[in-house]
Amino acid sequence: MSFTRRAFVRTLGIGGASVLAARRSAGAGLLQLQGSTPAERPLLLHNNENPLGPGQAVLDAVRASLGEGGPAGRYTYRRVAELHEAIAQKFGASPENVVSGCGSTQILRSAVQVFTSPDKPLVAGQLTYEECAGYAELIGTPVRAIPLDRTLKLDLGAMADAAKGAGLLFLNNPNNPTALLHGGDAVSACIDRVLTASPDTTILIDEAYHDYVTDKAHRTQVPTALKNPRVIVARTFSKAHGMAGMRMGYALGHPDTVKKIGDWDGANALNVPAVVAAIASIRDQARLDAERDRNTAARQFTIDWFAKAGFVSTDSQTNFLFVNIKRPVKEFREACRAQGVLVARDFPPFENSHVRISIGTLDEMKRATDVFGKVLGVKAKAA
Amino acid sequence: MPLSRRSFLNGLAETAPFSAALVAARGREASLLEPASVEPPTPADPAEIRIDSNENPLGPGRAAMEALTRAFQDAGRYPTNARPSMGDLRQTVARRLSVRPENVVLGSGSWEVLKTAVRLYTSSSRHLVTAAPTFEQPERTAEQLGVPVTRIPVDKDGRLDLDKMAQAARWAGLVFFCNPNNPTGTLHSARAVADFVARIRRESPETAILIDEAYHDYVTDPGYATALPLALEHPGVFITRTLSKAYGMAGLRVGYAVGQARTIEAFSRWAITFNQNSLAVAAAVASLNDPAHIEAECARNAEARLFTARYFKDKGYKVWDSQTNFVFVEIARPAREFKSACAKHKVMVGRDFPPLEGTHARVSLGTMDEMKRATEVFSQVLGTARAGAGAAHDSATPKK
Repeated sequence: MSFTRRAFVRTLGIGGASVLAARRSAGAGLLQLQGSTPAERPLLLHNNENPLGPGQAVLDAVRASLGEGGPAGRYTYRRVAELHEAIAQKFGASPENVVSGCGSTQILRSAVQVFTSPDKPLVAGQLTYEECAGYAELIGTPVRAIPLDRTLKLDLGAMADAAKGAGLLFLNNPNNPTALLHGGDAVSACIDRVLTASPDTTILIDEAYHDYVTDKAHRTQVPTALKNPRVIVARTFSKAHGMAGMRMGYALGHPDTVKKIGDWDGANALNVPAVVAAIASIRDQARLDAERDRNTAARQFTIDWFAKAGFVSTDSQTNFLFVNIKRPVKEFREACRAQGVLVARDFPPFENSHVRISIGTLDEMKRATDVFGKVLGVKAKAA
Repeated sequence: MPLSRRSFLNGLAETAPFSAALVAARGREASLLEPASVEPPTPADPAEIRIDSNENPLGPGRAAMEALTRAFQDAGRYPTNARPSMGDLRQTVARRLSVRPENVVLGSGSWEVLKTAVRLYTSSSRHLVTAAPTFEQPERTAEQLGVPVTRIPVDKDGRLDLDKMAQAARWAGLVFFCNPNNPTGTLHSARAVADFVARIRRESPETAILIDEAYHDYVTDPGYATALPLALEHPGVFITRTLSKAYGMAGLRVGYAVGQARTIEAFSRWAITFNQNSLAVAAAVASLNDPAHIEAECARNAEARLFTARYFKDKGYKVWDSQTNFVFVEIARPAREFKSACAKHKVMVGRDFPPLEGTHARVSLGTMDEMKRATEVFSQVLGTARAGAGAAHDSATPKK
């Protein structure tokens, strides 16, 4: 786990991950942004963002808050309580079951903080979202990293075995970067096994990509989390809700568990526009449904294009693909970047075979696959 | 740009005048420092004067609000991809301070860097030195982590007792030095700060020193100067700043620390991934590039401060020399009593600040108009309430 997401962000941090964009703005001077439409930038298919951003309801809510003046913005805490109420309502829970954070990342960190220690390790997949493992390293918590199985799925059996005596088991479902899902029954069985064999271990299920799942076998673990103090489910507004820039995530669980996580940092990192936006977005299920359908179509188009060109993708249940391009990702990435398309960084041990490509709009994916075709030497348009 | 985004931006332009109150988030500090279990505040009352949390009553300037509005175009992008990006903000801060980006780390408000500092430099065997009263965030973190805390009372003029703090710094992990100090409003001169830092470096070279300059922009005392040169000169010495005060962005969460690149690198490692939101980044970049607005805000605040301090002095109450956007007044009765009496008149003043909660109240500065209305209420309250410094212990339950 030497190349964590944090390290990645830090490495590219000064100019931001969009190296080209940053270079351009650094040269042009920052104030040049004022009053003008930003210049064209590369296709950003490297960070699993929603290409459309938040929906109209969010824009209207924030607009109203900015426009109303006076009372609209005064009571931050009232707005946070309102957000927790709105989230609870969506899940048939109560506000005491909800904690919010500066992205789900803050919640993941807090969970590692409060549930692990030097003698209560973290268990995580060898290839999964790295926030928990990265933070564990910082605070001196040992990490038991469990390799993926032969189908590139998280090895639930091995993870459950490793959980004995652990403080926290982190389960990203669907998993980033492999895009693969474990069905509800498999996850429930894993949870039961851990709870029986290691009753002091807390299980954190990160359902960041939940809203993009189309596999009927999927089942959220929120109902389990609401009942069981040892299970927490984290969600984010950064993906299907299209609010990655606003920084808002949340988790659901038993009130005692949620309180432990929330007490660590309090609400200090929450920004007011994000709270207002999240309240509107969580109530807008129609937008989420439309976003899932949009993503599904663009995802299928891209999977089909690769398949026709002879490259196999995993069965993506997310807004990105993990594709076997049968060559070092670095050279593919650099060639794509030269043609204005950014794809994700290396994910060892798959850095010589699999690339992660986020799903943009269908139109963007048509442009992107043209570039992929050139870079991979695919003769005719496959799709 | 998707159609919806365009219509949003157009719509905003039509909604005139838009208000900055949302991002100023008045009342934020008062709320955040309450225990998590506290009841949420009662619904907003437009007639209320919120002078309890040291926020800028006007919020950010127009340039910042316009930039914030435009930033919605990139709301779906991570703050490293948005334009301007987190990296752009870091560079803008660096440029304003004439340092390199490597000398700057951003925080989700200065809260985050204060918390990180305690984690980096203290332990169960390396204590935290702080003042009493001062901003409590560092000692709160220390308590969470089981780190011993030494609290040095302020002197009779409400100033941090630098001599005693330096003595207590021996073998300490971290000294927290808020300059000007919240809630007393007082400051130490550039010379005194330099001597203090030099002494600790000499007598306890392993001890880190955090100089919190949250109220830097409001200082008018010519003897003051930022400790930035000291932070760049010494390892383990750093300053923190926030855009929650003069910049009016308490609701947006932007703060930063500045020090030697090696010192700052450790902070970066601990930072919450994506600890800035793109709206805040855009507003902050615009604001940092608009120094005239901050100068005007400082002048506006100084006028309201002079008016308010003079009011209390004329009434015979002792006010320590404020270099901030609040005054700390010896009202000779419990702060809680004064607070609740004022609240009945819809004027919200500061909470308890132990160990002075039996005698002193903190009053943040609103607009001149708000302060005129507030002082009328103070006259009623102070004229009628029973002066009862002796009753201080009845209400002296520190919120910790």
